[in-house]
Amino acid sequence: MDHFMNPRNAGKLEKPDGHSEIGSPQCGDAMTLDIKVDDDDRIIDIKFMTFGCAGAIAAASALTEMAKGMTLEDAGGIRNKQIVEFLGGMPAEKYHCSVMGHDALTEAIDYFTTRRDETRNNLKAIISNMPAELERVMRNNTITIEHVRPERVLISLLNEDTQKIVVILEKELHKRLGRTVEVKVAG
Amino acid sequence: MKTYLDNNATTRMAPEVLDAMMPFFNDQYGNPSSFHTFGSALTEDIEIARQQVADLIGAFPSEIIFTSGGTESDNTALFYGIGADSGKPGLVTSVVEHPAVLETAGYLEQAGHPLGLVKVKSSGCVNMDSLEEQVTPNTGLVSIMKANNETGVIMPIREAAEIAHRAGALFHTDAVQAVGKIPVDVKVEGIDLLSLSAHKFHGPKGVGALYIRKGLKLNPFMHGGHQESGMRSGTYNIAGIVGLGKAAEMARYFIAEEALKTSYLLEKLESGILKECPGAVIVGASAERLPNTATVLFTGVESEAVLTLIDLSGICVSSGSACSTGSKDPSYVLTSMGISVTDANTAIRFSLSMYTSDQEIDYVLEVLPPIIEKLRKISPYTV
Repeated sequence: MDHFMNPRNAGKLEKPDGHSEIGSPQCGDAMTLDIKVDDDDRIIDIKFMTFGCAGAIAAASALTEMAKGMTLEDAGGIRNKQIVEFLGGMPAEKYHCSVMGHDALTEAIDYFTTRRDETRNNLKAIISNMPAELERVMRNNTITIEHVRPERVLISLLNEDTQKIVVILEKELHKRLGRTVEVKVAG
Repeated sequence: MKTYLDNNATTRMAPEVLDAMMPFFNDQYGNPSSFHTFGSALTEDIEIARQQVADLIGAFPSEIIFTSGGTESDNTALFYGIGADSGKPGLVTSVVEHPAVLETAGYLEQAGHPLGLVKVKSSGCVNMDSLEEQVTPNTGLVSIMKANNETGVIMPIREAAEIAHRAGALFHTDAVQAVGKIPVDVKVEGIDLLSLSAHKFHGPKGVGALYIRKGLKLNPFMHGGHQESGMRSGTYNIAGIVGLGKAAEMARYFIAEEALKTSYLLEKLESGILKECPGAVIVGASAERLPNTATVLFTGVESEAVLTLIDLSGICVSSGSACSTGSKDPSYVLTSMGISVTDANTAIRFSLSMYTSDQEIDYVLEVLPPIIEKLRKISPYTV
């Protein structure tokens, strides 16, 4: 009841790493969910907005409380049953109300991981099949992928001369992904 | 503070009604159908009640049959009213009827009666062109409600009855929400069959009446001990019938006063909501409505969440939909008016009565707006 009266984590995030908008055109319920993810794949912030009954609001509030601080993998593994337990029980006919929150979180995580995979795959493709422009500045250098986020990648280079490589990689990634990915060099 | 604004669901029984009923729970426990005086004397109380009900709707006492309530009256009118005089099988009703009519109509359709459904306009009022289209020479009965339970919209049933009669069909009206709130006159409006229910106008639950126009013969619908001229057998629910009679008498006496009072309070409630809750829309605002009913769309705010919150403050209202059976069914009354499913799920119905006080309206206007504001803040829909 408290989670319905005073829902935690209601709202939106500026520049979220993961975002989902789900709704059921049949019953008209709708929800948005934003997550911020750190470099260790932990959900460090989470916010939701919902148009739904008391059960849906309470379940979304509970879910966000549970998911905050979890790794994406753990958060994705939260079951409806656990949400209901977290709330201290829910009438059986209201169980379905908690499903929307769960779906929204799954979609927000998917959004994050899909975009990350996209970034990684494109980066790999660029490195393995270098455009001429990049090949020219590479000389004997080698690129190693250290860490990938949807909007930022960390690479390390064998040699010092980095600036041109970074510029070209950022340009290439933008061309392929249609969004800006920051390239950083470790060290 | 307990605030009861759900009078279209049921009303508080008038204390005078309870007083009138009490003797029949106590020493006057006889059966009016008995031979002995102790029982048979009670027939007089039943006939007084019959007169009181008849007076409320401008009928003759002999045209009133007591039933268990609105649902029984509606079922009876449809089952036995279709073509009662003409033998014609067709049934025509509107898409915004109460389930007591709509479900029965659906059943009758499956049983072989051609069914025509009349559309409503965006105001919530029955579309008379659609009615004209649906009524055919094959139509045996037209059933259009006098006033809608969700929106309070009053239907032009006099015109509807004329259309029915021109086609040689009978006309039934489910007047459960209208009787006791607005004047209803069966003769002026040309009604052949009318359903009413006691608990909607401060009478007891479990009792109602069916008006059957003089000269119209319906088949008996409860077979048994020949009560109600053999039409509706079953031992008389005498306390209930007396309660219905008393409620009818009071309604007839207070109808204008109550309408004046509830319409004043309703206007105060509506204007307060419109002022304090941006994005609120009164449903059927352009139509003639019952003086006690307002359904409001709080755009972007799901109604069940509102209901849950204001219930904690003791405010009793209702929404058109309930999210309980795995999927939410939005109000078919609202969606048939062209309101979207999402908006229909923001509808809250306020229904007043003569017992509603100024303080109750003030209290709602104090409690409700912050709740709407709070829920709107977490809603993904913007106004």
